[in-house]
Amino acid sequence: MGAMIKDSTTLEILVQLNKRFDTESLPEMIELQKEFSVFSNKRSLRQAFALLGIVPTDWSERRRWYKFLDHLKTYPSDLPKVNGHDRVIKAFRDGLAAAAPIPISIKCHSAAEDPRVTVAKGRPVVFTIETHLIVSIPTTPGREVRKQAAEVAKQRRAAKKK
Amino acid sequence: MKSGLERIDMGNRFGSAGVQQVYSDVEAYYGAQVAKHGATPRGVDWSCQATQSLRFVQLLRICDFAAPFALNDVGCGYGALCAFLDLRYPDSRVDYLGVDLSRAMISRARRRFRRADRRFSIGKASPRLADYSVASGVMNVNVGYSRAAWEDFIAAVLQDMRRTSRRGFSVNFMSDANGASEASGNLPETRLYRTNPERWIPYCEDALGCSVETLENYGMKEFTLLLRCRQNLAEDLPLRH
Repeated sequence: MGAMIKDSTTLEILVQLNKRFDTESLPEMIELQKEFSVFSNKRSLRQAFALLGIVPTDWSERRRWYKFLDHLKTYPSDLPKVNGHDRVIKAFRDGLAAAAPIPISIKCHSAAEDPRVTVAKGRPVVFTIETHLIVSIPTTPGREVRKQAAEVAKQRRAAKKK
Repeated sequence: MKSGLERIDMGNRFGSAGVQQVYSDVEAYYGAQVAKHGATPRGVDWSCQATQSLRFVQLLRICDFAAPFALNDVGCGYGALCAFLDLRYPDSRVDYLGVDLSRAMISRARRRFRRADRRFSIGKASPRLADYSVASGVMNVNVGYSRAAWEDFIAAVLQDMRRTSRRGFSVNFMSDANGASEASGNLPETRLYRTNPERWIPYCEDALGCSVETLENYGMKEFTLLLRCRQNLAEDLPLRH
């Protein structure tokens, strides 16, 4: 997200994810997890989402999406010694295997405010009635990344002139 | 008492010419789907590999994997079931024949699986008698036909599966009990066929001579019928190609 995939792709993926794990679709996901262990230590997030067909419709973005999922391994999380990638897997695995599973929502938060992948229970949007498991991914919007890159390039050019 | 053939042909309301037209339109529809999405679950109207595989799990409950057997896969598409069999039952000996109306699908399936025990055939019904037959998602997209016409098509498919199966066969349907489903992507509701087990159980028991087991509650808005053949109608009936 941010520098790695387009902002429009991020939105598309969020819609897909939140639809597949909402109240209505949850029984299907629970069954899939039970039958195939979609989210497990033996399978990467890239493999899990490929299996579930959670991919950008734009083919050119797919590679970048997978790259982003792998890149989550470099992110910290709200659990000590657990990286962002493994934290997401753990959240889905534990959530779907819970005695009383609740819908799972994915959202983004500003990486500048908190660079960790976080997991908490709550209501993802104001009109939601049920409690969800909310997985939040630190993100820097594409325009900010471009702005930062332009600033760095500007400084580099200025330094060269000197 | 009616012979197997008389019983199996009753209730066909719009004649064989009409059913032929349905087959032709189904072929055109899936040919277009695979051209658009390629050899992927979306190419056969499923949302993803995981849900497609979960359907295979249910359908294959009809089979006894303890001994080698022959299996017909009706509406096999690009042969996704072959890959699933290899993954899930690597040590089982399954003589597989995939059948599909779509030349484009079969062409892709043949390119993907080149083995003596993985064969494919273009057609509406299997050209051979096997121990079991399965059909996944064949009944779901009505390609614009009325409910009555589509149910004639379904009856014809079930008859063909019955006459080409020695021991049993299995099919799945989208359920009308739970509203919208993820299956069939963004197709309008009018293009989808939804039903309930009670609609087809009496037909399968009385007309096809099967005992029926219904599988529901596997997380999807659909159900699977496992049909075990009570009498060997297949021996009385000529194969239709």
